[in-house]
Amino acid sequence: MFRYSNLTVAQKQVVWAWGFLALPILFYVVIRFYPTFGAMVLSFQDWNLLGDKSWTGFDNYAKLFADPVFWKVFGNTFLYLGIGTPVSLVISFFIAYHLDKVRFMHGFLRALYFLPFLTSAVAMAWVWRWFYQPVPIGLFNNFLASAGIPQFPFLNSTTWALPSILAPAVWAGLGFQIIIFMAGLRAIPQSYYEAARIDGVSNWTILWEITLPLLKPTLVFLVVFSSIGFLRIFDHVFNMTTNNPGGPLNSTKPLVLMIYDTAFNSFDMGYAAAQTVVLFLVLLTVSLVQLRIMRDR
Amino acid sequence: MATLSLRNLVKAYGTTEVLHSINLDVAEGEFIVLVGPSGCGKSTTLRMVAGLEEVTSGEIEIAGRIVNNLEPKDRDIAMVFQNYAIYPHMSVRKNIGFGLRTSKMPKPDKEARIDEVAAILGMTDLLNRRPAQLSGGQRQRVAIGRAMVRDPAVFLFDEPLSNLDAQLRTQMRLEIKKLHQRVGSTIVFVTHDQVEAMTMADRIVIMKDGHIQQVGTPQDVYQTPANMFVAQFIGAPSMNMLPGTVRDGRLNIASMTDIAFPFTAVDGYDITMGIRPDDLRIGGEGTPLFEATVSVLEPLGSETLVYADIGGHEVIARASGRTPPALGDRVTLVANPEEIHFFDTNTGEALR
Repeated sequence: MFRYSNLTVAQKQVVWAWGFLALPILFYVVIRFYPTFGAMVLSFQDWNLLGDKSWTGFDNYAKLFADPVFWKVFGNTFLYLGIGTPVSLVISFFIAYHLDKVRFMHGFLRALYFLPFLTSAVAMAWVWRWFYQPVPIGLFNNFLASAGIPQFPFLNSTTWALPSILAPAVWAGLGFQIIIFMAGLRAIPQSYYEAARIDGVSNWTILWEITLPLLKPTLVFLVVFSSIGFLRIFDHVFNMTTNNPGGPLNSTKPLVLMIYDTAFNSFDMGYAAAQTVVLFLVLLTVSLVQLRIMRDR
Repeated sequence: MATLSLRNLVKAYGTTEVLHSINLDVAEGEFIVLVGPSGCGKSTTLRMVAGLEEVTSGEIEIAGRIVNNLEPKDRDIAMVFQNYAIYPHMSVRKNIGFGLRTSKMPKPDKEARIDEVAAILGMTDLLNRRPAQLSGGQRQRVAIGRAMVRDPAVFLFDEPLSNLDAQLRTQMRLEIKKLHQRVGSTIVFVTHDQVEAMTMADRIVIMKDGHIQQVGTPQDVYQTPANMFVAQFIGAPSMNMLPGTVRDGRLNIASMTDIAFPFTAVDGYDITMGIRPDDLRIGGEGTPLFEATVSVLEPLGSETLVYADIGGHEVIARASGRTPPALGDRVTLVANPEEIHFFDTNTGEALR
C-alpha cells in the first residue's frame, strides 16, 4: 500500500513537485491545449457555430490561399512586425540608454515612460483616434491647419493608416521595453566602461562593441517578445477603425482581426480556425528563427 | 616608465572630504603599494590617478606633466581592475588588442605586439579562447596583458588579486613581481592585504581615513612603524599592544610588571608598549618581560602561536613547533629590548 512516510526524500520531493504542478497542468490542458487542438481539428471542418460540423478536408486552406484579402492581411501583419519591432526597440533603447545616465528625477521620468504600458489599450486607441480626426475635431490636423499646412488623412489613407495605428501601439509598449533595457544596462559592470575609457575608445565603439553585445540576452528576449506582440496586434486596430474594421481597403487589417471577422461576423468557424492555425505557424516560425539567429554561438 | 607625483591631493564628495591632502612621489620604475582598510581612500587615490575620478584640488603629475584635466586615455596609464573587466564576448586576442584600438600602429605591428605580450604572460596557446574558458588566474593575466600591450608609463592595479583563491593569489603575486622586475615599469598597486603589500612593494604607503600614515620600504614600516595603526596593520598576527603608565622612569603595565623606559617622561604619562608576537618568545635569551599563563595554543607546524594572559591582557607569543608549552602552563615571556616599540597612548605616535 502507498504510504507517504515510507518514501525516500527524493520521492517525497517528486510527490510535492507534481502536487504543485498539477493545477497549472490541468489549467493548461483544459484551457489551452484542448482548444488549440480543437481549433486545429476545426480548421478541416465547416461549422457556422449552431449547425452540425462537416468534414471538408483542406477546403478551408485552399480557400484561404486563394483569397486576395488573406494575402493583403498577411502582408499587413508582417508590416506591423517589420516596422513595429525595430522601431520600438531602437526608440526604447535610445531612451533607456540615456535615461540610465540621468540622475535628476530618474524615478519620475521612468514612471512617465512606464505609464502608457499600464493604460488600457482601448482607451489609448480611442484617444489616438481622436488625435487623428480631420479638422475641426482632431488634434494633429488642428495643429496643421493652424500652421497653414494641408490636412493629413491619417486613418483614411491606404498608405498612412497602418503607420498611424502602429504609432500608439509602439508607444504603449515602450515603457516595458525601457524598463527591461535599463535592467540589462544596469547589469553590465561599470569597470567594463572604465577600462574602455582608459583604452580611449570612442563612445560609438563602446556602444557597438561592449554595450550591445553584452545586452544580447535582453535583446533576444525583447525581439521575440515584441515580435509576438506585433504579430498578434488587434485591439489598437479594432478600436481605431471600428466603423470600417481593417481600415480603407483592408489597409490596416492584421491576421487576428481577419480571424475575428470571419468567426464572429461571418460565423465561418472552420475558415477562421484555418486562419488561426496559419497565425500559430507564423508565430512559431518567427520565434524559432529569431531564437536561432540570436542564439549565443 | 615614468615618475608619478601627487601634491596636496584632495577628494571631496559634496562637503564630505574623503582624501585629505595626499603627498606622494613615486620614482621611475618603482613598485608602490597603497594599503589600508576599506574606506581609507586608497582606491579613490588610484582612480584619481587613472582619471576615473575628478580631482577636487591638488595636482597629479605623471612623467613631469600635470594630468589633472586630461582624459584617462591621454595620461599614458593602464589599469587592471579587481573584476578583471575583460569582455566575455571577445577572444583573449581581441581583449588584449582592445588596448591598442586607438593606437595608430599598423595592423601587423599590433598583432606582433599582442603575440609578444601573450608570450611574456605565457598564454600564447590561449589567444583564441573566450574568457569563460579560462581559469581565474588566466583571466587575471589577460587583464594584465591588456594593460601591458599599451606599454604605459604607469601601471595601476586596483586590488587585482582579491577575487582569486589563496593559493592562486600567492602565485600571481610572484608573477606580478617577476613581471615588474622584467618590464621595469612604474607600478601603483592597491590592496587591503598587508601581506601583498609587504611581499611586492619597493615602498609601501599605508593609508587610513584619507590620510597617509607612513611611507617606507617593507622593512621600514615593519621595524619602525610611525604609529600604533601602522604597527598593528602591518604584520600578522598583529602587534601586541599593552597600555601602561610611566612611574620613576619605568613603565608599569597591567600593574604587574615594570620595564625600563628608554625615554624621559613625566610620571603618569600614558604609554603603550608594542611588541610583535614574532619577537615575544617563551624562555630563552633576552630580557624577561612578563610572567604569563598559557590560555590558547595555535599550532602552525613550524611554530606554535601561544595566547597567554598577563594580568588581564592577552598577548600572543611564539614558541617552537617541537616543544610548545602546555595549556595552563606558567611561562616567562622574553624579548630583545630593541624589538620593543613605545607609543604615546593619546596621539598614537611612535616614540623614538
